[in-house]
Amino acid sequence: MSLQNIISRLSRIALHGPNRVRNISTSTILQFRSTPVLLAEPLKKKKRLDPAVVRAREERKKKKIEKQIRRLEKSARTLKPIDECEVSIEIKDELGKRKRDLAALSCELLEKRVELEKQWCQYRREQHLTDIQMLDRITNAQQKALDELKKESEELYQEAIQFDFHLMPFNSKGPVETPAVEEYDAPDGDYQDISKKW
Amino acid sequence: MLRNTSKLLQISNGLQNILKVQLCGRTPTPTENWDLLTAVCIERRPIITPELNKLEKEYKQLLDELELERSLKSDTELRHEADMKNLELLRKGEDIADKDTISKQTLQDLVDLWNDEASKFKPANKITEADKKNDLKSLNRKLDKHLVFVLNQKVGDKNFYILPQGAREDGETLRQTADRVLRQNVGTDVKVQIYGNAPCGFYKYKYPGDIKNETGTVGAKVFIYFARYLGGQLTQTNLDYKWLDRTELQKTLPPQYNTSVKQFLFDG
Repeated sequence: MSLQNIISRLSRIALHGPNRVRNISTSTILQFRSTPVLLAEPLKKKKRLDPAVVRAREERKKKKIEKQIRRLEKSARTLKPIDECEVSIEIKDELGKRKRDLAALSCELLEKRVELEKQWCQYRREQHLTDIQMLDRITNAQQKALDELKKESEELYQEAIQFDFHLMPFNSKGPVETPAVEEYDAPDGDYQDISKKW
Repeated sequence: MLRNTSKLLQISNGLQNILKVQLCGRTPTPTENWDLLTAVCIERRPIITPELNKLEKEYKQLLDELELERSLKSDTELRHEADMKNLELLRKGEDIADKDTISKQTLQDLVDLWNDEASKFKPANKITEADKKNDLKSLNRKLDKHLVFVLNQKVGDKNFYILPQGAREDGETLRQTADRVLRQNVGTDVKVQIYGNAPCGFYKYKYPGDIKNETGTVGAKVFIYFARYLGGQLTQTNLDYKWLDRTELQKTLPPQYNTSVKQFLFDG
């Protein structure tokens, strides 16, 4: 084995081979780094303020906030007025003018009215009773259906008593006085929101 | 003493018996075979309010009177009065301080104008074309009544007008059957909402003897679901169906079936 051979073999063990080219790189291995450019100037010297002025300034700030708090507290005590419930001053002034001078009702008429009220009470009571009976009847019918289902199959019964989530945002339009006119083009009005902001 | 203990024993035995019976009752053991059917009752709610009866009308009038008596005069009324006063003065030929008020439109003119405009609007008639023709297939009939959908269906070897129904298939819940029945019989054009997963009505009938012996099933149990009509029209023209109000329903449905259906329907 020649010497040349031995050297080339050993060169594999050595950290740096004799004929390696060194490259410039910024990787950490070579510890070659660029430093940030410093363009700053030294910090300004802090201006010294008169402590009295500082105190005055803080006090002013505090007063301002206190004033705001006071204002808020004041308005918190007064409730938001409800226009519908408050009689306007104009109407209060004109109250005498606005009174209706109707002829006094005759005894006969009053009697008749009381009679009608009584009839109405009875009528509504009967209506209420029939309504309750009706609801009773309907719930009973459902209970009977469920009982029969339970007799047939417990599984189906369990399925049937589950909550139906399709029902949940429930809305319903009530009956109206007259049916809708077909192809009626409703005239559009202007909408003005005059409610006050509070 | 001995007698007492024996009594106690008897009671405890009795209790055990009761408990046993209850336990047995809890686990259903269907000894008879029944077919399970699901029917759907589709109901259209009234669109307009029914006419007030005599008492209601009278009471309404009373309320109106009371409201007027307890009210104060409105701005419009005050204006009308001022107008009248001015007119009176004008008729007498007296001079009025502010002439501007007279040259303006009087309230009466305005009221006439408004009435004119209002009279141009004609509300739709409460009695529709379908009512006049007595078109039972139209949803536009009897606007102030609840209408129920009935379909001509073959049960056994006879045809009846009954609620659309169908047999439950394996693996279906009753609610799913109801949905399927609707799809198959009514189609998807009509929008309805089934109220809940639970049936609200029940009806059962027994099969005639020969079928009973052949199939071994005693009869059919019909579980009726309630559904609210939401919108849409039936497009299939070959269907034989009717929209009926309560009295017509009573005449059309088989009597026993009707009593079962009536149980879960609203009055009116």
